[in-house]
Amino acid sequence: MPRTIEQPFDAANIPGPKMAMLLEKGKPVAMAIKKAKHPLLVVGPDVTPAIIERVKKFAEKGLTVVATGNAITKLSQAGINAKYSVLHELTQFLLDPNWKGFDGKGNYDLVLMIGNIYYHGSQMLAAIKNFAPHIRAIAIDRYYHPNASMSFGNLWKKEEEYLALLDEILNEL
Amino acid sequence: MRVLKNEYGDWMVLELRKGAIFVDELRNVSIKIGEVAEEEEEWAPMGPTPFPQIETLRNWDFILLKRYKPFYAPYCDMCCLCTMGKCDLTENKRGACGINLEAQTGRIVAIAVAIGTACHTGHARHMLHDIEHVTGKKLEEIPVDLGPEIAEVAPLTQLITGIKPKTLADLERALKYVEEQITQVMDSIHTGQEGSYLDYESKALHLGMMDALGKEIADIAQIVAFNLPKGESNQPLIDVGMGTLDRNKAIVLVIGHHAPPAINIADYIEQNKLNDEVELAGVCCTAHDVSRYWPKAKIAGSLGRQLKVVRSGLADVIVIDEQCIRADILYHAGKLGIPVICTNSKAMHGLPDMTKRDPKEVIKYLLDGNPGVVVLDPLKVGEIAVEVARARRKKRGEIKPVLSEEQFMNYAKSCTQCGNCTIACPQKIRVGDLMEAAEKGDRKPLEEKWDVCITCGRCEQVCPKKIPIIDMFNFAAWNRILNEKGKVRRGRGPVRDSEIRNVGAPIVLGTIPGVIAIVGCSNYPNGTKDAYTIMNEFASRNYIVVTTGCMAMDAGLYKDEEGKTVYEKYKDDFNGGCVANLGSCVSNAHIHGAAIKVARIFAMRNIRANFEEIADYILNRVGACGVAWGAMSQKAASIATGVNRLGIPVVVGPHGSKYRRAFLGKPYNDEDWMVYDVRSGQKVRIEPAPQDLLVAAETVEEAIPLIAKLCFRPNDTDRGRSIKLTHYIDLSLKYLGRMPDDWHLYVRTESDLPLAKREELLKELEDKHGWKIDWSRKKILEGPIRPYHAGFNPTCVERLFKEGFSSLAKK
Repeated sequence: MPRTIEQPFDAANIPGPKMAMLLEKGKPVAMAIKKAKHPLLVVGPDVTPAIIERVKKFAEKGLTVVATGNAITKLSQAGINAKYSVLHELTQFLLDPNWKGFDGKGNYDLVLMIGNIYYHGSQMLAAIKNFAPHIRAIAIDRYYHPNASMSFGNLWKKEEEYLALLDEILNEL
Repeated sequence: MRVLKNEYGDWMVLELRKGAIFVDELRNVSIKIGEVAEEEEEWAPMGPTPFPQIETLRNWDFILLKRYKPFYAPYCDMCCLCTMGKCDLTENKRGACGINLEAQTGRIVAIAVAIGTACHTGHARHMLHDIEHVTGKKLEEIPVDLGPEIAEVAPLTQLITGIKPKTLADLERALKYVEEQITQVMDSIHTGQEGSYLDYESKALHLGMMDALGKEIADIAQIVAFNLPKGESNQPLIDVGMGTLDRNKAIVLVIGHHAPPAINIADYIEQNKLNDEVELAGVCCTAHDVSRYWPKAKIAGSLGRQLKVVRSGLADVIVIDEQCIRADILYHAGKLGIPVICTNSKAMHGLPDMTKRDPKEVIKYLLDGNPGVVVLDPLKVGEIAVEVARARRKKRGEIKPVLSEEQFMNYAKSCTQCGNCTIACPQKIRVGDLMEAAEKGDRKPLEEKWDVCITCGRCEQVCPKKIPIIDMFNFAAWNRILNEKGKVRRGRGPVRDSEIRNVGAPIVLGTIPGVIAIVGCSNYPNGTKDAYTIMNEFASRNYIVVTTGCMAMDAGLYKDEEGKTVYEKYKDDFNGGCVANLGSCVSNAHIHGAAIKVARIFAMRNIRANFEEIADYILNRVGACGVAWGAMSQKAASIATGVNRLGIPVVVGPHGSKYRRAFLGKPYNDEDWMVYDVRSGQKVRIEPAPQDLLVAAETVEEAIPLIAKLCFRPNDTDRGRSIKLTHYIDLSLKYLGRMPDDWHLYVRTESDLPLAKREELLKELEDKHGWKIDWSRKKILEGPIRPYHAGFNPTCVERLFKEGFSSLAKK
């Protein structure tokens, strides 16, 4: 059981005994990124300009960014050199330990998710949680994602607080 | 003399050959002849798999499941089905019975598909009962005659069972078989049965196929019994939208999928010359099907509009039959005092059964203010519904929004911004923001989100201030409601053999770039306009667009700059650049049917009891893709699973990932993409065509290029491939602003490249992908997954590779 829990952003999205640990600070995410051998940032279409600004900084710090849905157009316009994938297909590849990744260096050991359509993203996190023991998934979204291993809480009404958390991660990298 | 059992062993056939029977001295013996079975016409050689059982097509399923490995995204990590539980299956642990999360998820998928299949099959069974009751004829007296242009009357029945039906009694034989298969699969769901996720998927695929068969039986039965259109094109336009309902008339609203009660209402209106006084409108597929019978009927809206229509107070009486009806219909209708008539034993809502009462007595009962009744005889429904509506119309005044201006403002002010509504909302609508804007006098945000809202009503249940949020939406969007006036082409039913003769070759060669089947429920991620956008995009590019159900309705709500709906803009012939509405959910069977008929009519393959070969043909040659952008129900799951088994991929909207299972290929795994080439006798690695069998897209901008991609087939000619590539690249540029990353995987030779961009693309192949190009001849020397050969003859099935295909062509 998580040490601290939060209400899922879909009220009834209670998957089972294992739910994401609630993150109230950005630092643990930064630590996880630093510790990871091959991290990936997945960015979905539910992103604001302020979030895109932070995504750009993540890319500048060397994280591989993959856009899903039509997020690619927003990221391209922001000058971010992102990969593109259908999230459903990408997650199937992530489940496969033999996938070579976008750079041919192998599958990823840390997946950060931000901006995916909430319920769809939640399902993809459920797949990773249950069937990809080689991957740790962290939701750095404005919503609590119970299927991640760690997740920010519901900050969709507290944008400044949320952006500060993203900045905290970036500052630690 | 021989005594035989039939295919499913529950009745006996006494076959008498030439000779005589002498009966002497028989006393106290009665001889009962239940049915005289005619010998099946030898319409084609019997194929290898008549009436397949669970295990019969497992080999084919495993071929599909190897390439399209089931992808599981559990909705729940536990199993709660037996008293040893609850069991925690997180991270693929095994529960008390031994099942792990993979198999449990496959099991849940099989259950969902079984529910959907039972629904269509139960519908078909109910249809046959009602047909005998309403027409007064026996099933064997009703011929399956779909007119002079349709010889292949029931392609699914023919393909799966081997029966070519002559009468509805023949279809009933097929229906009994479907009913048995559902029972057998549901048996396997019990604790302590199946333990393999692959076998659960095979069972789900089996039921998906049964679902298709059940739908075909239901639709053909209603077509021939009620004289619905038999595939004729240029169907009349039907009014769609809440604004098309004449509010001066008494309005009867039908909801559901089983049309005989609605047909009786139409008959009653006609017979009593009440057209000027009574309006018949529907929500969901009953609306399609009654308009196929009586084009004056209107379509009030799709499933997503159900509560918007009910809570708008437009209806004077509500008649429900089966499927996709709100479980709380009495609650919502009761808020406005609208009586509900339940006409089907599957949805009786605790109401008294007054089927045997005199209709006049039932009318009085409903007008006395009682919430509703059950009337299971469709022949009584017309009088009761119409007379209740007429009487209520006389008492009510003008239809206005349910809320007054003052109530609307007071409710908006009462919102505490707690956020409960948003957390409850499946669409994640920020209802609090909409209330805040309304309080400040700006109703536009509420009006705009009215269409995105699927009116599930969960927000109302969690609002601490009891704000009637649906009424708030309807109030803000009232002008939109009154002006929602569109057109849908009447459902035409099956695709004619003559049409297949025209398009079979271009589909298989790829010069018609694909068949796009736009079907299913209306829980879209971002409103109804996506249905129009998808339909218009592909029809304008010469794809064959066929549609059914709720998506067919929603697409008709929108108009282009010239004021034309897609149905006015494009013809409904089954041809490139068409938009053909085939009808209701059960009419989806004609989409399978069209694909099967391409194999039968164009390729002369034997379709009799020959599922594996024909599905293999379709997977490798027929560039069709299903789109269920708002898929919600278990029926949508069974429909998709049925077309998947036939080798047709499906794209669903993001809500579709909640079905828990997808079929997703891995283009980088060489061994998954090996086929046998009958021409060369070799195993060949093909391009990932189609890459997936079931995939959810996140946004419509992503879905559109993905749909185009899933129309690639290994058998495309170079000309066909260049047309398909043109659209794939174009649509990616248009909707995602970039070249697709994987376009090069679909290039086998330089002539596969779109002519207008050939040089530019050759350069990219050389620079970006390291291919070797002979620039003097502009030829590809090295790089493609495989070379192109016009005679390439692929099959995924080793048996067919060794034994050959079953052809009906004269040698």
